[in-house]
Amino acid sequence: MLSIISLSIFGIVNLFLGFLKSRRILLPATLLFLIVALILNSMDWNQQALYFGDMLRVNNVFVNFAGIVLITALLIVGISRHFGNDEEHTHPAEYYAILLFSVTGALMMIGFENLIMLFVGVEVLSVAMYVLTGTDKRNIRSNEAALKYFLMGSFATGLLLFGVAMVYGATGSFKLGGIASYVQMASMYGAVSPLLYVGLLFLFIGMLFKVSAAPFHFWTPDVYEGAPTIFTAFMSTVVKTAGFAAFYKIASTAFAGVYGFWAQSLAVMAVLTLLIGNITAAYQGSFKRMMAYSSISHAGYLLLAVVAKVPSSQSAILFYSLSYSLATVAAFGVLMAVSESRQFEGRGDDRYEAFNGLAKTNPLLAFVLTVSMLSLAGIPLTAGFWGKFFIFSAAVQANLTSLLVIAVLMSCVGIYYYFRVIIAMYLKPAEGEGISVSAGFTLTLVLTTVLTLLLGVFPDVVKNIF
Amino acid sequence: MIPEVVQRIPLQYYIFFASALFVIGIVGVLTRRNAIIIFMSVELMLNAVNLLLIAFSTYRSDPNGQVFVFFIMAVAAAEVAVGLAIIVMIYRNVRSVDIGLLNKLKW
Amino acid sequence: MQNQILYVWYLLTAVTILAALLVVLAKNPIHSVLSLVVTFFCLSAHYVLLNAQFLAVVNIIVYAGAIMVLFLFVIMFLNLREYTEETKSNFAKLGAAVVGGVTLVAIIAALKKVQYPMPMRYDVRTGFVETLGEVLFRDYLLPFELVTVLFFVAMVGAVMLGKREKGERHF
Repeated sequence: MLSIISLSIFGIVNLFLGFLKSRRILLPATLLFLIVALILNSMDWNQQALYFGDMLRVNNVFVNFAGIVLITALLIVGISRHFGNDEEHTHPAEYYAILLFSVTGALMMIGFENLIMLFVGVEVLSVAMYVLTGTDKRNIRSNEAALKYFLMGSFATGLLLFGVAMVYGATGSFKLGGIASYVQMASMYGAVSPLLYVGLLFLFIGMLFKVSAAPFHFWTPDVYEGAPTIFTAFMSTVVKTAGFAAFYKIASTAFAGVYGFWAQSLAVMAVLTLLIGNITAAYQGSFKRMMAYSSISHAGYLLLAVVAKVPSSQSAILFYSLSYSLATVAAFGVLMAVSESRQFEGRGDDRYEAFNGLAKTNPLLAFVLTVSMLSLAGIPLTAGFWGKFFIFSAAVQANLTSLLVIAVLMSCVGIYYYFRVIIAMYLKPAEGEGISVSAGFTLTLVLTTVLTLLLGVFPDVVKNIF
Repeated sequence: MIPEVVQRIPLQYYIFFASALFVIGIVGVLTRRNAIIIFMSVELMLNAVNLLLIAFSTYRSDPNGQVFVFFIMAVAAAEVAVGLAIIVMIYRNVRSVDIGLLNKLKW
Repeated sequence: MQNQILYVWYLLTAVTILAALLVVLAKNPIHSVLSLVVTFFCLSAHYVLLNAQFLAVVNIIVYAGAIMVLFLFVIMFLNLREYTEETKSNFAKLGAAVVGGVTLVAIIAALKKVQYPMPMRYDVRTGFVETLGEVLFRDYLLPFELVTVLFFVAMVGAVMLGKREKGERHF
């Protein structure tokens, strides 16, 4: 709870720091704020509490998910050395403030106990993301991405709200507890109101839009490609983690009583997401666009855990989000460094070719990206392997054999496109001059790599916490 | 005293009415290419939700639904501000009175 | 005499649906905005019929007053005229219409037999300012405060995106 309050205050403080002449203070200040929030968050460990008339529930699950979100935000702020080369047209104080506010929204989505908190949290996070997508104001691609994201996002909000209204009509409550007890009672007597089913459907469609699962993913590639890379990294990690935390919470608590109704259709969505995400990713010529499709495919794996809905699903989602976030931040960090120094058609180069011979020009970046790709592909000794392992074992427990087969096949397809960039880095001849990056940037990237490898070798350390 | 509408009109009528408005909004989002009209269709969808919530709330005599509507209105206002700022920003870049970009968007 | 309320209800509903259709179908964006305003007024009348007077007033002030004026302002500001080149193919339009129609029919079919329990005690003051205010500031205090974060984001974002940068032309 304190972390939410402190973050919203820090955001305002950050705006005031923008009045100072020097911009150097902003990055350390934001890092400090996030670390303070992380400490405040960990103080809630083992505290079971409901705040403000059952609006927000703080427990260990909240602390874990919030910890992942905060750590990811810290790493992303760590690689946000500057925003583009054009100093006059960037507003770092505003960017950092909006980032902090959006983390507040993410924490609301994680801890909500009443649908109104979910709604406000989703909106804070989404509106912040619309703005950040459009921050590259003179770039028409960024503009277009912002508009597309905005229109699709508010459409999804409409669907979500229609679902909420129908659920309210059936149950007369916005509280997760109230909905759950209605669902339990009604399904026991076989008298579940059709309003609930319609509402559930729309609510889930709205959520699937937000986490970009197929067939509601069509906005994702364009938006991820058009947005400034640093914010793409934020979008594909923090938004996804918070979205799945909220999705799993609402599916497993409020609608646990009608599991049979939603499990089937969600399983179909998971298969679709896995197929579309992985197969389309294999065809992409741009690394950034490939990462967008890969983020769709990872949503598919996470959906698998939601469909399974066994007690171990939760820790599987936690571990997977952590490993996925670490690897994704590293990948986008390296992409930022590379595309800043390589130009193609008048803008930063984000094709695979940009990575040609990176192992010779900057071996460290190449190594970081290799570990990140191996982790995303789920190769042993990286965190990604255990993430997939826990998700698949949750699916085994729920007897989702056919789904599991598809997921395993699709992760083999994943290996193909993740290895393309590794091959480009190590086997293709180098082009252009060497890439130099600052110390803080390198430190952050090395940190993510070390964490990924540590989680890969000793998964139990973190697994026992979750 | 129960309001006359609640006595005379079955709740289903409100559900159908709100669903019709909602579906009109969806069709608008899917068929139009002008960003501003798409955005207005989204507003129509939100209003259908508001009507539905108020109807449920009145038929149940429970104020919670109406408070939710209050939040939806507040959030819609914030969204509109950001959305129109994005549209103005695009206009600035296209540098043309006729914002051709907005109907060249590929979906 | 008895059926007057029914006539009013049907008339209002018909006007609302027609205006909503016009929002989606009108070629000229200004016509769309104006019919959306009509829709909002009709909905406010519905809210009054439903005994939600406070929200009826807020609806007019916020939606018809603030939001639609903003829309009109932007449309006139950007000088959007009639859109003749709606390039979406008829096939796509037909598809969208079918999707919409099927959704509507499905919802109606699913909800035709909704059973609705009447509350034991009917409180006529449900939609009054006093009741809503009490609930808002007692039960919904936390979301109420956190909506301010959203406003902060929207305010900062709108100013940042809409602002003229150094070297850019005035409108």
